[in-house]
Amino acid sequence: MRPVFAVVLALSFSGVLSAQDTLPLAKVQRVTVAPVSTVQVRPGSSAPVRMTFRVMPGFHINSNKPSSELLIPTAVKFEVPNDISIGKVEYPAGKEYSFSFSPGEKLAVYSGEFAVKALVIATKEAPRGRFRVRGALKYQACDNRACYPPATVPVEFNVSVGKPAPKSVRRNPAQSPHIHK
Amino acid sequence: MNRNIFVLIVVIIVVFGMLVAARRLKREQASGPTLNGQVKGAPAPDFTLPTIDGKPVKLSDLRGKAVLLNFWATWCGPCKVEIPWFTELQQQYGSQGLVIVGVSMDDDPKKDVPKFEQEMKIDYPVLVGNESVAELYGGVEGLPVTFYIGRDGKIVKKVVGLVSHSEIEDGIKEALAKPSNSSERASSNQHFPAATAVAH
Repeated sequence: MRPVFAVVLALSFSGVLSAQDTLPLAKVQRVTVAPVSTVQVRPGSSAPVRMTFRVMPGFHINSNKPSSELLIPTAVKFEVPNDISIGKVEYPAGKEYSFSFSPGEKLAVYSGEFAVKALVIATKEAPRGRFRVRGALKYQACDNRACYPPATVPVEFNVSVGKPAPKSVRRNPAQSPHIHK
Repeated sequence: MNRNIFVLIVVIIVVFGMLVAARRLKREQASGPTLNGQVKGAPAPDFTLPTIDGKPVKLSDLRGKAVLLNFWATWCGPCKVEIPWFTELQQQYGSQGLVIVGVSMDDDPKKDVPKFEQEMKIDYPVLVGNESVAELYGGVEGLPVTFYIGRDGKIVKKVVGLVSHSEIEDGIKEALAKPSNSSERASSNQHFPAATAVAH
């Protein structure tokens, strides 16, 4: 009985502590992500991935390069498995936007659908198989009158590592056409 | 065996009580009833929050003044539109008893706000907000949220989002028109210590 008692006591106290840490505000998602196609890549090479996001109608989010350093840029971060890495991430340019009552201040924002491209890189040692890349897009949304706290939307995709590229046999080395002239 | 079960039940009741008390305590760091439903005419929930430089400010100490309580954040574009208007309106109506109080809902206000304050030339006090106070005011998920509080400490109006300069001015006039309750703290002639501290 005593061990049970101790466990109940410990769990109850942990409940008290965790209740004090919880934040009351519910987060509403204002950006969704479309399913991302599996990325096929060979060991030692790279392949592009395209992630398509949709900002809910009536809202906009800051672009990756907002017009002010105080604004929170939209950015995606990844957690990658061993032997996989993410190269350069390319964001689209933002569309110009102004709030009512302040037409002079131009912001660079995303609204509707936008795509973020990145390069998936597999090491030479990457084993054949399927890997899961997990990430999150951090954004801060506004409508035409109010702004909402920064939020993240998870983004995930599979990376399929295939066979290594066959070693090329150099029968006809590439030549400049000028050589034949 | 029976004794152990009895002790176990007592412990569970005590722990449950602690859980409820902890939640209540957290909420009462910002005291007063939470705003739910009808906001107009409700007493503004009292709270004590620090200014950016750490001086505590209690809302009820401003009783007798008309208070414009503005929840905002540095990342909020519409808030940035309103702030120069607030500065101007504080100068215009301050002598009539208006006190504008900003509550920053930034994650790290001590890092983000001072530079912003300087850039925007904010000359009214900015307090470090928290979720408990936001919850007291019915939750402030979308920013800006502005409460116009009459001299009697009751809410005259709540406005979510950016509105025009004239709408803000109308709200201020409405708050200033509310007579202060004679039984309330006679602090109308007191200056808001944090306001003066931040203003300089």
